[in-house]
Amino acid sequence: MKSLRALRLSRKIMMLTGTILILSFGFSLAQDAATGSATATVQTIITVTATQALAFGNVFQGVSKTVGDNVDASSGIFTITGQAGAGVNLQMILPDYMALADGSDRMTITFSTTDAAVDTNGATPSTVVAGDGWVDQNPRVLPAAAVVGAANTAIYLGGKVTPTSDQAAGAYSADIVLLVAYDGT
Amino acid sequence: MPELSINKIKMGGAIRNWYMAALFVLLFAANISAGVLVAPTVVFLSETNRTGRITLQNPTDVPQEVNIFFSFGLPVSDSLGNVSVILQDSVTGDPKSAMDWVKAFPRTVVLPPGGNQTVRLVIKPPDDLPDGEYWARIVVRSQDARGTVPRADDNTGISTQLNMVIQTAIMLKYRTGELISNLELTSAGARLDGNIVQVMLDMVCRGNVSYMGILHSRVLDKNNNEIGRGKINLAVYRNLRRRIDLPITIENSNPPYRVEVRITSEGRTDVPPPDMISGNEIVRTLNLE
Repeated sequence: MKSLRALRLSRKIMMLTGTILILSFGFSLAQDAATGSATATVQTIITVTATQALAFGNVFQGVSKTVGDNVDASSGIFTITGQAGAGVNLQMILPDYMALADGSDRMTITFSTTDAAVDTNGATPSTVVAGDGWVDQNPRVLPAAAVVGAANTAIYLGGKVTPTSDQAAGAYSADIVLLVAYDGT
Repeated sequence: MPELSINKIKMGGAIRNWYMAALFVLLFAANISAGVLVAPTVVFLSETNRTGRITLQNPTDVPQEVNIFFSFGLPVSDSLGNVSVILQDSVTGDPKSAMDWVKAFPRTVVLPPGGNQTVRLVIKPPDDLPDGEYWARIVVRSQDARGTVPRADDNTGISTQLNMVIQTAIMLKYRTGELISNLELTSAGARLDGNIVQVMLDMVCRGNVSYMGILHSRVLDKNNNEIGRGKINLAVYRNLRRRIDLPITIENSNPPYRVEVRITSEGRTDVPPPDMISGNEIVRTLNLE
């Protein structure tokens, strides 16, 4: 029993000694550091990325194709990282058609009034629910109350392409533009 | 509930969270196609400091083509208190616009993956400007620099590609002379809608600089118990109607409820203290309609 107490006491002494050594080492570092000087400016940032393009892949003449905003593999995904809780104004500029590079043919692309979701809670396109932000939103009128989430804010986008029965073969492209601005500065 | 069931639920939640995190990482790592980091989020220039800089960084794994241009756009609101920022690219004629005075160097750059670029800003305002603050938006447009045209699989195929383009708009403020920050709360109201307290505030900027501050709001019950709260960064350039939705916890609370609103220019952590213009504080208590 006595030896157990002695063992505990010796452990406590070792821990105390170690703590004192660490503190003194840190203090000496602090003293060394105090002889120099350094300045750093912390800046706020905003990072907006297109994590994934809205992907229809290959389509067929006369067969429309829809991609929802809830498909992990092919929904469009934008991600915004910045000061958590800051209000952000989001605007999407969406195309009415996709075109061949030489402009010789166009294919209609449409976006419904429920083709977007805004997620401030770290979900995914397939798991986002109303409690994570806003679902079934009009991508042309994104929520005015959107904020940067604690981790980030994501926007999920779906859409539909409608090739005609005589749609020219080829590679069609268009731009989707997301404008992001803080509304609190 | 038995402890085992609770543990199962906790374990299930942990696995779900891990799965979500892994999926998000995979999504993020697999296919980041466009984007840029911009710092800081607001740039201040003055008559004594007519140059500034912003830093751009490419956080993606593909090169980014970045263009910088200037625009004009203030936070404005509709009758429902929704706030938006409408950019005007052409000459606005607004007496507070600084967009024609400022230039960026460089204006176009291709950022390699992980690359940085400093963009320098120089402003040449006209002489004899009245004291106050003048505004422009710095718009950073980025997209994948690898080309935008997809290839069809064969002669008969139809392939598609949507190019994701990002425009990040940050504010530039040019200040000259004596600066005054002052806000007036012209009207305020609050009402209960289910478990949400909607607060509507009409504000007018009475100073010659934009009022930057924080809008704090608390919902209290009859016994002064706090049942809801909110905090947002606020910027008022001219007039602004702002709606705040405050979720509340009604259980175990006693009506009538009231909302305490406090607007202060203190406490902003996203703006360097030397750039903050100290303004007035507004405190108002609103009874729910």
